[in-house]
Amino acid sequence: MWVMIFFCLLVGLVLGFQLPVLLPLVYTKYMSIAVLAALDSVLGGIRAYMEESFDNVIFISGFFVNMLLAAGLAYMGDRLGVELYLAAVIVFGVRLFNNLGIIRRYLLKKH
Amino acid sequence: MKSKSAQISIALVCLIMGVLLAIQFKATENYQTDLIPERVDELTQKLNTVTQQKDTLEEEVLSLRDKLINVRETDKAMKDLQDELQKVQMAAGTIPAEGPGVIVSLNDSNLNIQPGDNANYSIVHDSDLLIIVNELKASGAEAIAINGERLTAMSEIRCAGTLILVNWTKIGPPFTIEAIGDPDMLQSGLMLNGGHLSTLKFLGLQTSVQKMENIKLPAYNGPIKIKYAVPSQYQEKAE
Repeated sequence: MWVMIFFCLLVGLVLGFQLPVLLPLVYTKYMSIAVLAALDSVLGGIRAYMEESFDNVIFISGFFVNMLLAAGLAYMGDRLGVELYLAAVIVFGVRLFNNLGIIRRYLLKKH
Repeated sequence: MKSKSAQISIALVCLIMGVLLAIQFKATENYQTDLIPERVDELTQKLNTVTQQKDTLEEEVLSLRDKLINVRETDKAMKDLQDELQKVQMAAGTIPAEGPGVIVSLNDSNLNIQPGDNANYSIVHDSDLLIIVNELKASGAEAIAINGERLTAMSEIRCAGTLILVNWTKIGPPFTIEAIGDPDMLQSGLMLNGGHLSTLKFLGLQTSVQKMENIKLPAYNGPIKIKYAVPSQYQEKAE
């Protein structure tokens, strides 16, 4: 399971570096929020998997919806003049560390 | 329920995330290391123009020798002088010029500036115009005008508060740089990867380069004051 996750991540990274896509500077802020949301969703999925409460539909929909919502919220914040992306960074950051802690505890319990 | 489908979906999502991460890495990295390839291009372009300059100088020596002979046979001298005058006037920008070339349009970014953004990145500076004019000259532009101000040998491009001074005339965005020369050469010189135009586009400014069959440039009609420089005899270095 872990081997597969890292293998896929690696393949994705290589693929991404090979793609001739260059994000304009103005969009990197939204992309970074989207990446953070995606990271949170993946860790949440792994956690649910370890808790044996994994739901495919919730996981996939959460991944895409969270990502789009986070980027969209950051964009809206920019239009409104409120730095909403900071809220997204804090929320996703806290959840990320929470999920990491829970995964760590499960792994420690298992071995 | 550690099912197969759960593993597959996690793997798939990891793959997509890898791609996203890589794109983000590339974008942030590119922004920081954008300067190095530009330097290389700059140097190669410089080398090319210097060698070209040398070639044209050599040609000039040959034609000057011919003219020297012609001066001795005074009949042809008058016509040569006329030719020379026209050439020098063209270079100085004191007669109107027309011919094929390109029109470069530049304008400030139309995206709203957010708190925390550096506003300097979203406007056109005098240095941007200078670099682009320089790139045009390096690509063989023979006559250049910015917003209708013909560039002469003594024209300046200078920041003056919110506007830019060219020939002591204030101009503001949108900027239109018209240049006469080989349209293909001029365009490819500007569009060079890592060139200044690509940097401006990357920063979100509005830029465009348009090839034209015929451009008419006005003459510089301000005063030409030469107070200190006087012609002097100089030793020709050509062998």
